[in-house]
Amino acid sequence: MFEKIILIKDTDLTQEDRTRTIYAFVLDYIREKGQQDRIQVVRAADLGVHNKGIVILLLPEKIIYAGLDELKIKNICDSLCNGDIPKDFVYQPKVKQNRIVLQNCGKIDPESIDDYIKNGGYLALCKVLTELTPDKIIEELKISGLRGRGGAGFPTYLKWKFTREIKSDTKFVICNGDEGDPGAYMDRSILEGDPHSVLEGLIIASFVIGAKKAFFYIRAEYPLAVERINKAISDAYNYGLLGNRILDTEFSLDVEVRLGAGAFVCGEETALIASIEGKRGTPRPRPPYPSVKGLWDKPTVINNVETLANIPRIILNGGKWFSSIGTETSKGTKVFAITGKIRKSGLVEIPMGTTLYDVVFELCGGASKKEIKAVQTGGPSGGVIPKELLNTPIDYENLQKLGSIMGSGGMIVMDEDDCMVDVAKFYLGFCVDESCGKCAPCRIGGFQMLNYLKKITEGKAQISDLEKIKKIAYAMQKASLCGLGQTASNPVLSSLRYFEKEYIEHIENKHCHSGKCSSLVVYSILEDKCKRCGLCFVNCPVSAISGDKEKGYSIVQEKCAKCGRCFEVCKFKAILKK
Amino acid sequence: MKLNIKTLREKANSFYEEKEWIKVGMATCGIAAGAQDIFNILKEEIKKRNLNIPVKKCGCQGSCYAEPLVEVKVEGLLPITYGRVDKDLAIKIVEKHVVGKMLINDAVYYFDI
Repeated sequence: MFEKIILIKDTDLTQEDRTRTIYAFVLDYIREKGQQDRIQVVRAADLGVHNKGIVILLLPEKIIYAGLDELKIKNICDSLCNGDIPKDFVYQPKVKQNRIVLQNCGKIDPESIDDYIKNGGYLALCKVLTELTPDKIIEELKISGLRGRGGAGFPTYLKWKFTREIKSDTKFVICNGDEGDPGAYMDRSILEGDPHSVLEGLIIASFVIGAKKAFFYIRAEYPLAVERINKAISDAYNYGLLGNRILDTEFSLDVEVRLGAGAFVCGEETALIASIEGKRGTPRPRPPYPSVKGLWDKPTVINNVETLANIPRIILNGGKWFSSIGTETSKGTKVFAITGKIRKSGLVEIPMGTTLYDVVFELCGGASKKEIKAVQTGGPSGGVIPKELLNTPIDYENLQKLGSIMGSGGMIVMDEDDCMVDVAKFYLGFCVDESCGKCAPCRIGGFQMLNYLKKITEGKAQISDLEKIKKIAYAMQKASLCGLGQTASNPVLSSLRYFEKEYIEHIENKHCHSGKCSSLVVYSILEDKCKRCGLCFVNCPVSAISGDKEKGYSIVQEKCAKCGRCFEVCKFKAILKK
Repeated sequence: MKLNIKTLREKANSFYEEKEWIKVGMATCGIAAGAQDIFNILKEEIKKRNLNIPVKKCGCQGSCYAEPLVEVKVEGLLPITYGRVDKDLAIKIVEKHVVGKMLINDAVYYFDI
């Protein structure tokens, strides 16, 4: 077996990949020194470092060396061959993930309760049942500064305190797993990768407020998450962690799973309650808040999946530990699901206060193709943040100031190929589709605003329409019944705030810079480049191309459906898209 | 078997760290990328060679772009993660990594940052 392993990767994207040449060079050098049986040289696929030239990872020491050239590599190899650990050129990453919620995801078997217990699972519950009182737990949560991870950021301890203080023989706890934002899937991953953590958090919440019944509300589109939560619940019953006299104490709790049928609005707490009650999932005015009058008019705590997954960690490590992570007003970490035009899509868990720039460029490797234009956070209730403002540290307040929200943690990266008007239209269209229709501002306002956006993307709008959009947005924000309507205009307003130029370009010049708004795009054939192969002619689905191999081809604009098929198939770049 | 506080604490302490294992990321992102097939192939290969190393499921590690992910721990080596694992690589992991205790080229993903 090898004593040391050197992993090599060229992280420079601007030129051709040099991994293989450097690999050969190192291999030869090690052989020259006669150390090939002691040191293994391996080409890595990814070392988690970006744009730092040649990078070497040394195992088992786990040291990363970056920005290397042949001389430096020789240096490193020399000291390794002499039995030393090289100290120069060591790379210290600027940002690191801090895994609190995700600590077990990808580490333990989610279908095995033993695996969870082995990793310290349910010890927090033991501590709660033996050492702590509900008031002490609330105090600890207050110290921790944990705020709801579902989006609004309401302090968790307050929610629990309000519900606990109300006298009632029946109380409920609900875990909100109705994650509906396009592109966000943190809750799904937590439920699938570490279901027992969420369950443990739910049991602790029930203990604190005095509930004897708790619910998981999970959307039916997450079959695997539902399966694993069901398995977790039945295993917990078998071990006496649920049911009558939990762990032989006075505390009893039953847990049930309810499935959401995929309505976005059911993520809103009052609509969610209606849905569990078996009614149509529509919100109702607040107050009374669910902590006073919730499920079946009983005091109810509703917490997001990620919030509950934080609870066992806080109980075990203390509120002080948790509050040492993050910023002044936002404590702890947040899991983000990064998708879109990014090289490494996936989940990252970062301490609050990390900048968007670091998340996008340092942790996820930057844009996948073209230059990044903006980052969208918070899903349909959030907004776009332009690249100039990516240096903002992430916390609840900062994102709000920028016209976006933290949201549940979806982060969609957009590049030069994305049209901001089109993006705003997409999100607003989503909200209009998902609006329950109960209140007029959301139902009518959303529809009218969407019509204006459609007009803009078709080149039929006037400049004065922008004012009208702002007026409607204001009315929706002030008068809508629930969060869906109040925030539905956010994507439109924030893109108007940062990308007004694009709106004006659409209206005045009838031009879409990115070519996304198909009605504004004109395709034509460049005669000097056309080789008259006839590929576009054959492929056009609406027969909008006329001509033949002798005369050449042209596009009949009246017939053209702007599908872009000819543009895609042309091998000679003879189709002009404008 | 119902536990009480004492027996649960005992249970938590009684587990020992396994020295060898293979973990396959089997959340929705992994399964969508073909992790179920990889899981089956690994099990088959292990059986074929009469090896005594458990193949386990685990959740999403977070690097969804590199799924299916397979993490391997064998005696004498640190846990190593392989990404974008296909059939051939799965067989290689058993042949080269588990049996030969050597790392495989162009497939190691390092996330410990």
